[in-house]
Amino acid sequence: MRLRRRILRRRWCAGRGGSDSLGNTPQASFLLSWLLRPFEAVETRVLILNADPVFQDRALAVFDGLDLETDVVRTFSEAIVSLLAENFDAFVIEGQPEAAMEQATNARQHFPSLRIVCLGTQAHRHDVALVGEQQKIELISYARTTGGLRRRIERFVRSIETQGAPSAEGIDPCHSLVGNLNQFSAAEILQMSCLSQRSGRFTFKSGRGNSEIYLQHGSVRHAVFGSLEGESAVAEVFRWRQGRFYFEEGVISQVQTVDRPWAHLLIDNLQKLDETLELASV
Amino acid sequence: MKSRELETKLRLLTLQLENWKKLHDLITYGLDKAKPIISSEQERQFTEVRANLLQETEYVLRQLNILDGLSGKAMNVLQRTASVRGVRDLTGEDVRRLEMEWNAVFTKLGVAQGQLKARRKQLAGQTAISYYLGRLFRRPAVAA
Repeated sequence: MRLRRRILRRRWCAGRGGSDSLGNTPQASFLLSWLLRPFEAVETRVLILNADPVFQDRALAVFDGLDLETDVVRTFSEAIVSLLAENFDAFVIEGQPEAAMEQATNARQHFPSLRIVCLGTQAHRHDVALVGEQQKIELISYARTTGGLRRRIERFVRSIETQGAPSAEGIDPCHSLVGNLNQFSAAEILQMSCLSQRSGRFTFKSGRGNSEIYLQHGSVRHAVFGSLEGESAVAEVFRWRQGRFYFEEGVISQVQTVDRPWAHLLIDNLQKLDETLELASV
Repeated sequence: MKSRELETKLRLLTLQLENWKKLHDLITYGLDKAKPIISSEQERQFTEVRANLLQETEYVLRQLNILDGLSGKAMNVLQRTASVRGVRDLTGEDVRRLEMEWNAVFTKLGVAQGQLKARRKQLAGQTAISYYLGRLFRRPAVAA
């Protein structure tokens, strides 16, 4: 997922000179131009699933007032189609707590690293909260007042914005294989490397972040993506359709988080991807 | 600067336009004689889109202050299109009228969306302070 940090790049406006005429002293002019400066913002993008976004729009009205870009969908399959486009920072599911949690759990199976939030119209029951904790799904329940709801939503939005940005891309001459994921999928290049019994480190860089997959004699030994490790990190990279990759021969991991043969991983992940695409077509 | 009211209108309008587009896709499919099979899934989708439009159109158009010009046309489109199969059975004259009325609704909504987006872009270049200062010091319009 493209993690576009909301960077407020404040820049001096062209009208700075014009503001000089308003202030008599340089300090006053500086203060006035600072107050009047416009800013550009690369906004956080949030996908919101709401079955009735026109009439049940209490939370949506709060989102309208925030500095972020929102896309609203009505059905789960529409949400999956949008999420496959890989450009959302978080996925908010609004509705009755139990139904929302069911959809959130389903989404978690297909998008392991995505930030998913259940925005319940009622307080979440203990069992629902427990499932949320297991599945790393955040819970927000409607507050009695709109102000309370706004504060909860703002806190959540701030937490998205404070997430770390992906590090900058760089290609080193020692990389033995470099390419784009929109030309070769991760599955294809990993298959090729495993068949030729390679040992080394693959680094995948996309808007979602960076992931590393270590191979040893044609088997995946270790994979890491953010807080995910092992097979779930491999599953995440399988979905990426945009980004770059490079391979460094001979870099071996001491850690082993994957112990299944490559063929099994490939079949399982391709099957999972098919299931995701099937959900999107429902 | 961001206006909550403007964002809400844009959200409502975008959702409404999305439904009109989906309705058009299904009507076009229904009218295409080269595609003989109409699945129950398509009929279900059609009913869902129609249900959304029936309950939301009047409310959204009122919020956007364009209810008077469009309500009748929008309702005509929704009443004539009972199902995908029903669309296929319409006469040539009915189909032409349906297309004209759909186009009138779509055009008006599209123009309104463009105006709201232009307003949003204009506001994005301003801070709250510069906006209110501008309002305060703007020279009043001179009556002719």
